Amino acid sequence: MSGWRALILVLLALAAPLLARPAAAHQATLAVLEFREMRPGMYIGRWTTLPKDGENRIELKMPAHCFLRLPELNCGDKGLVGQMTIANLGEDLSAAIIRVTSLDGETKSYTISAANPVVTVLGTGAPTLQTWLELARTYVNLGIDHILLGADHLLFVLGLIWIVKGGWRLFQTITAFTVGHSVSLAATAFGWIGVPEAPLNACIALSIVFVGVEIVKQQRGEIGLTARYPWVVAVSFGLVHGIGFASALAGLGLERRILPAALLFFNVGVEIGQILFVMLVLALIWAHRRLGAVIPSWGAELPAYAIGSVSMFWFLGRLVRVLAAA
Amino acid sequence: MNTRLRTAFLASLVLLTHSQIADAHIVSARLGDFYAGALHPLMTLQDVLIWAALGLLAGSISAASGRWLVLVFPLGLCAGLALAAHAGLGTPSPLIDAATILVLGLLLVAALRIPVALLCLIAFALGVMRGAVNAGELLPQTDRLLYAAGLASAGYVVITLVMALALSFRRPETAAVSSWRGIAVRAVGGWVAAIGLMMAGLSLAP
Repeated sequence: MSGWRALILVLLALAAPLLARPAAAHQATLAVLEFREMRPGMYIGRWTTLPKDGENRIELKMPAHCFLRLPELNCGDKGLVGQMTIANLGEDLSAAIIRVTSLDGETKSYTISAANPVVTVLGTGAPTLQTWLELARTYVNLGIDHILLGADHLLFVLGLIWIVKGGWRLFQTITAFTVGHSVSLAATAFGWIGVPEAPLNACIALSIVFVGVEIVKQQRGEIGLTARYPWVVAVSFGLVHGIGFASALAGLGLERRILPAALLFFNVGVEIGQILFVMLVLALIWAHRRLGAVIPSWGAELPAYAIGSVSMFWFLGRLVRVLAAA
Repeated sequence: MNTRLRTAFLASLVLLTHSQIADAHIVSARLGDFYAGALHPLMTLQDVLIWAALGLLAGSISAASGRWLVLVFPLGLCAGLALAAHAGLGTPSPLIDAATILVLGLLLVAALRIPVALLCLIAFALGVMRGAVNAGELLPQTDRLLYAAGLASAGYVVITLVMALALSFRRPETAAVSSWRGIAVRAVGGWVAAIGLMMAGLSLAP
């Protein structure tokens, strides 16, 4: 048990800046470009959100048969079909959203980011194998990025690992969490349910507070709900976290016909990230035990309180945002 | 060389050669400055070798020696990063990097039982040195706190895992250095020293 405490304390101490500012990221370097089809194959485009360093520095590459000189984009008879990319991503521009409105008024959005540097416009024909492979690469990467950047999701999983400890019960618990978030992710992405983002984020923070309290209970020798029925807690809060995962897909303007596949690949990415994290935590716990690197008894409860404090800090911050918006 | 060892060696080689292709700025844009700090040292051959050799050295001595490094080494990395960013601590020359790798390799070969205090001092000094080197990737827009947290996390993870693996490999902490496990660790030390020697030669070449 001491090895666990040492691990949690070290992880929290090292990741404290990340935990305190989970949303710092790189939103300032997002740009939005919109194209509107004026006649078949001919588009007029403009930046609705300008890149930080000006539009002229962006090396936007359209399909080879298209001719681009903003505001004009001419793709001829083939139309806007094929790959789009930005060559100089990663310096001053982290992501760009390209919105294309066709003659019939339908708008599709494509996100180009470092995780997803090439996007494929499908056109009206049936998707090819290449298209599916690109779709898989794009959304698996997006899923991995989303879980790795989601400090709150990872902290919740860390809390579950701590309470359940390991072995078969941990496998069941993590699977239950996966089932929970997969169901709600799908339901949200298909539009069957909808929850406003701000209160949802507050609930996610509250779920970690709950786990923190459960850890303290466990340390005091009480058997909490999570220790007794870990899979119930995992599946319940998994449902909440899944709606949060869906926020990563919202706003990308996915085409309806590729939504199920994109969802599947995104979920696979989330699982890969989650499994990597669980394996890393288990490896570190083993290493701490092997080295006998433990926290002295006077600091035994510090990690549990650290988890509780960080999550409560998040909860209050998010609650303020909810109240401010109301 | 058995199959498992050969596979591990080849996989490591592939990872090391491919790591140079990766771009820290792309990592930063994709996953933010925390992961940029965490992944940058793992893309540098000098960091990978020095960190792994230090972990191996500490782990092959004893658990009691190694456990202090769980905190000392990441703290050294942070100190080095801070000194480079604020006090202008320069990055060492390639020759110093090579000499460091050579010395660590020789310490492994000699299987010296270094006292805990000295080991901590060595680990902290190496942490400061490598922290300063990794500060070279800081850009004006980089969030230094996140980058430092990422770097320290990577240092903690790598050093903790390598020490525990080395300790498990050696098994009984009192095992004689002449046992086959002890000899294997010393042989790895020989490889590390040889790489250090080659790097020193390259850095001295006109």
